[in-house]
Amino acid sequence: MAGTKEELLAKLAECVVEMEEEEAADTAREYLESGYPAFDGIMHGLVEGMNQASELFDAEEYFVTDVLLCSDAMYAGLEVLKPHLEEENAEERKKAVIGVVEGDTHDIGKNLVKIMMETAGFEMIDLGRDVPLQKFVDTAKETGAELICLSTLMTTTMGGMETVVELLKEAGIRDKVKVMIGGGPISQKYAEKIGADGYSQNAVEAVRLAKNLLNIC
Amino acid sequence: MLTPKERLKNVMEGRVVDRPPCICPGGMMNMVTQELMETVQVFMPEAHTNARKMADLAKAVYEKGCFENYGVPFCMTVEAEEMGAKVDMGSMIYEPHVIEYAINSVSELDKLVPVDLESGRAKVVLDAIRLLKQETKGAPIVGNLTGPVSTASSVMEPVVFYKELRKKNKEAHKYMEFVTAQLIAFGRAQIDAGADVIAISDPSGTGEILGPRFFDEFAVTYLNKLLDGLQKEKMGTIVHICGQMNSVYKEIDKVRSDVLSFDSVVSMKEARENLKDRVLMGNVSTYALEFGTPEKVHKLTKGCIKNGSDIISPACGLGMKSPLANVKAILECLKEEA
Repeated sequence: MAGTKEELLAKLAECVVEMEEEEAADTAREYLESGYPAFDGIMHGLVEGMNQASELFDAEEYFVTDVLLCSDAMYAGLEVLKPHLEEENAEERKKAVIGVVEGDTHDIGKNLVKIMMETAGFEMIDLGRDVPLQKFVDTAKETGAELICLSTLMTTTMGGMETVVELLKEAGIRDKVKVMIGGGPISQKYAEKIGADGYSQNAVEAVRLAKNLLNIC
Repeated sequence: MLTPKERLKNVMEGRVVDRPPCICPGGMMNMVTQELMETVQVFMPEAHTNARKMADLAKAVYEKGCFENYGVPFCMTVEAEEMGAKVDMGSMIYEPHVIEYAINSVSELDKLVPVDLESGRAKVVLDAIRLLKQETKGAPIVGNLTGPVSTASSVMEPVVFYKELRKKNKEAHKYMEFVTAQLIAFGRAQIDAGADVIAISDPSGTGEILGPRFFDEFAVTYLNKLLDGLQKEKMGTIVHICGQMNSVYKEIDKVRSDVLSFDSVVSMKEARENLKDRVLMGNVSTYALEFGTPEKVHKLTKGCIKNGSDIISPACGLGMKSPLANVKAILECLKEEA
């Protein structure tokens, strides 16, 4: 028996919060078969669930491992719903380049920020880890991204973040691209020192910071 | 006058000494800087694969007045590499790091090879310890191990690993058993070769990533298995954990190392209040060590003592560009205060 739209939306959200990957996909199919629009399913179902998960993360009830599994469930539902999105819903999304700076391969934090920012509506261009510094600048230039997010967990590689800021200046696009940084050894003070536009301590804060920097409410 | 080794031994055993020791173990807690390499003309990445150079660089750390210990290796990739991960040795300024994982899932455990202590970089580390044992005295030799969770998440993709702790819980435990057994073998060989102290850094096994339940079930359980697996004939053990501790103080107190070390996000005062009976090590900001002044480092060092740190050390690995004047300021301050 198919549920009402509200029931199914609530169930989609619940699947994400409860980390039920297969059930999220099944519920998304059920939702579509009942004739409801994909866009609402994403925004008021899956994304709503991810927002609840990030609130739990903020409250220290959920931890990184939990959020990773929630995001798997969200992506599983997304895969079902996305092909059914109507064109007019494909609104212009802000682009951001994200990656772990050269010399470092720790990307848990980066992945988490990417998930949270995607959920919040950003189009994330993920360069992965151990990324040559020039590549951040080149990619921002090629794609017209307005934001670069840099992460590192190691003291030995944090200097690369300053280099990226310098390279943006050299490329003449420093005023067009905001730079936000994060990771274990990074601090607000360090962001100020190297001339980055902002620092965030965790993935939830990163979304707030990104929206602030690009004046999105 | 106590030798650095006697001083550390006394502190580890909870006795009162003239002043706190000044230690930087090595491993993840890098204590080598560019200036130091230039001073003694021994460089990375060569020092990661050559026992002579590894020992010489470790000696320089003590002899040039930076820290009161020798320590090897200078990275946290030896164990993962020996089990089958591919490692890029980095450069003079970048640490070695894993570029290709050995397995895709905890259920592929069979594909892993046990650590061979007679070849590869495991042998380089053991040879370097033997050289230090023969050629030095007075300062403790620290052998470093990468912690169980951090090793496990270097042999395979960490995101998959973290998820499988829940999804393939039983197999994840089997995998952790295997990884821990390799670490025990490597640690025991380090002690046999002459290491006085074993320092275990587990930066990927944090309370922030795992949450209290998995921190207890995986990080604490396997750290203790590793500690229990080492022979008794040693001076002591140090465990360093990264990240915030407020959600896991109760769990971390179960870790049976002689010393606990935290990074700079943990307030030493708060750690002291929560872990009254433990020997604590830390945590002079590595940011200040790289970008601050000797005066600032002085001030932070005094703060660590005042807030209850028993062994003064950098909060994390040193940045390669940290000026020697800043690095030496910790020990200088401790000597002045004594």
